[in-house]
Amino acid sequence: MKKNVIYWVGVINPEHNDKYGNYEYFEYSKNTWKHFCKRFDCHFVEINKPIEDDLFKFRINWQKALFVFDELEKRNIEYDQIALVDSSCMYKWDAPNFFELTERKFIGWRDVDNMRWTNDSIVGYENIFNNFKLDRTKYINSGFIIFNKSHKEFFSSFKQLYYDNVDKFCELQDKIVKKGTEQTPLNYWLQINNVELKTDLPIAFKLTHLHRKEMFGHNWQLNEDNTPYFIKYGYNWIFNGLPKHERPKIMKQVWEFVKHNYSDDILDTTVHKDTHKFTTSRKFKEDILKYFSKGYKDKTLVELGCCQGTTTKIYAECFGKVIGVDIDTWNIGQAKNNCSSYSNVEFIQQDLYNSKWEFPNADVVVIDAGHTYEHIIRDIPKIKKYFNNPIIIIDDYGNPNQTIRKGIEELVENNVITIKHKIGADAGFKTATGLVFNDMEGVICES
Amino acid sequence: MRIMKNIVFIMDIDLGGEGRFASSRRAPYKFSIDSWKHWASKNNAELFILNDLLMSHEDMGICWQRYYLFDILEANNIEYDQIAMVDADTIIHPDCPNFFELTEGKFTGVHCDASYDWVCRSIENYSKHMFEEHKMPFWEYIDCGFMVVNKKHKSFFKDIVNLYHSNKLAFKEMEKFHVGTDQTPVNILANKNNVDLKLLPYEYNMVDLPRKELLANDLLFTNCGWIYQFNCIPNNEENKATYYWMEKTYKHLYEN
Repeated sequence: MKKNVIYWVGVINPEHNDKYGNYEYFEYSKNTWKHFCKRFDCHFVEINKPIEDDLFKFRINWQKALFVFDELEKRNIEYDQIALVDSSCMYKWDAPNFFELTERKFIGWRDVDNMRWTNDSIVGYENIFNNFKLDRTKYINSGFIIFNKSHKEFFSSFKQLYYDNVDKFCELQDKIVKKGTEQTPLNYWLQINNVELKTDLPIAFKLTHLHRKEMFGHNWQLNEDNTPYFIKYGYNWIFNGLPKHERPKIMKQVWEFVKHNYSDDILDTTVHKDTHKFTTSRKFKEDILKYFSKGYKDKTLVELGCCQGTTTKIYAECFGKVIGVDIDTWNIGQAKNNCSSYSNVEFIQQDLYNSKWEFPNADVVVIDAGHTYEHIIRDIPKIKKYFNNPIIIIDDYGNPNQTIRKGIEELVENNVITIKHKIGADAGFKTATGLVFNDMEGVICES
Repeated sequence: MRIMKNIVFIMDIDLGGEGRFASSRRAPYKFSIDSWKHWASKNNAELFILNDLLMSHEDMGICWQRYYLFDILEANNIEYDQIAMVDADTIIHPDCPNFFELTEGKFTGVHCDASYDWVCRSIENYSKHMFEEHKMPFWEYIDCGFMVVNKKHKSFFKDIVNLYHSNKLAFKEMEKFHVGTDQTPVNILANKNNVDLKLLPYEYNMVDLPRKELLANDLLFTNCGWIYQFNCIPNNEENKATYYWMEKTYKHLYEN
């Protein structure tokens, strides 16, 4: 069956291992594109070996354009549209499907980052194309282009052009122009052949030169969300235009920051206490998913002290409605961001200890606010009364630095609550900050 | 019956103040005006220069007053078809194609391809404090130094003016963020009001030339596009660098 194709090119050249940090970044790029293919039912076609072995005459950038149709047919892949993707690109986990926006035209994005470079390249190749006057407003970057079978003839003629002039192209590329490889010749050939180009898709689909665009930062004035702009607003992050030896480090950092979003397991989509301070452990979340797996879809949970919403999204999987409350504005911003894909979650910024409670009735209440004995013995009775004896989840029961457990034990002894289940990481678990639990992480209580 | 012409509208007002409002800031605007005069005459358009404030600068910031555009033209009995509202720190290439023919009758501008830290921060800050969290895609954000409008946009401009007058103090308060004055509110409002937007290529309003590695003595940018906005120039004490580049560009394009 015909499918759209992600034609991903990442060929290791051992001579450049040092320069490219052993090409480890290929994996990060590949992971994101495989995820795209899974989401949108596309073929992932990986080119990891050169087709022509002479990498001097046939740079990989040339090979990706020259042999794309040959390779697909050699591999018996039934293709519809093809996106040719460089290994320096990472695609955002929830970004839209660009194949639906192409109008079946040749798609590219304008290259207006370093316009001196593009000018020199355009001027440098003008001669070999008989002084053809290129329309610069249609000059595209070739690191990410989309086309289809109707462009097969075009690529075939481009290949012929290269084979007929390979020595001239190599000389221009390596000795005279020294600005790029196949990109500018491809642009000339597209325009000379009057290929209908669509260049108006949002630049979010091709965010190049991130440092030049100043997109590595976040809004330090509002300081509500420290997600870098390119991740927050971009779809396709392209790590070019920066020193090549920096690329592996930067892509690794980005991958570490976003990798949880690429997993199908809900537990992989959030952070846990072994690596992050303000959250619960993976086991805690797993236990919540198990305990509340059935019969709670029409019920409401209120989380008092939701922090950055990393466990809230787990509650959102189980309950019909989840209300997260936190005193800290920045936390609320982060929580909103972490739960942005859930429509059943609402957040309220409120100081629980110095304001009137006006929450809707809830069947289950999480208390993870004040972390002392005094807080617990005051909070639990108040929760019981206000919410009419809900199920209560309490975090940090086994935290050695807190006196929560003492409070809970006293309330149990006085028949205020009973512990139904102990949940989460066991005694001996070491948190991101080096604390070692002396009992289980949390408890589920009933009145 | 008078023939309706396309208009190029430029503000060139001497505030006689200090810093951003110093008279010396205006000095290079003559190069802009002359270039637009030349282009307008070549393309059968009329140049309109606004030299006077409509009200005191304290009552309404100078940038905001330009949105009285339609009232100004009508008060001056000017028949108009489309209007290009351009900043006086731009210079147009004499061979620039007639962009009035590219607008499709829509609200037209050029995406602000400059510092996205500034653009995103500005959208987020204004969105939070002035537009009840209404966000817009950053890739549709235009630089207001070049906009083309027509009669259809009269009510939109009225909305802009009303927005300003209803939120004067709040806009004043926003100045502490240093993320622009009218530009971002106009962008967000256009998005919020579903104003049909036509984006022209970067070549029609080349902002932040240093970021594109184009601002150099070879004036390479004059080979790469049509309208140059001399903003974001580093080491621009007392606007001297702006004067230098605008004079040099004007002479290169119009006196050679």
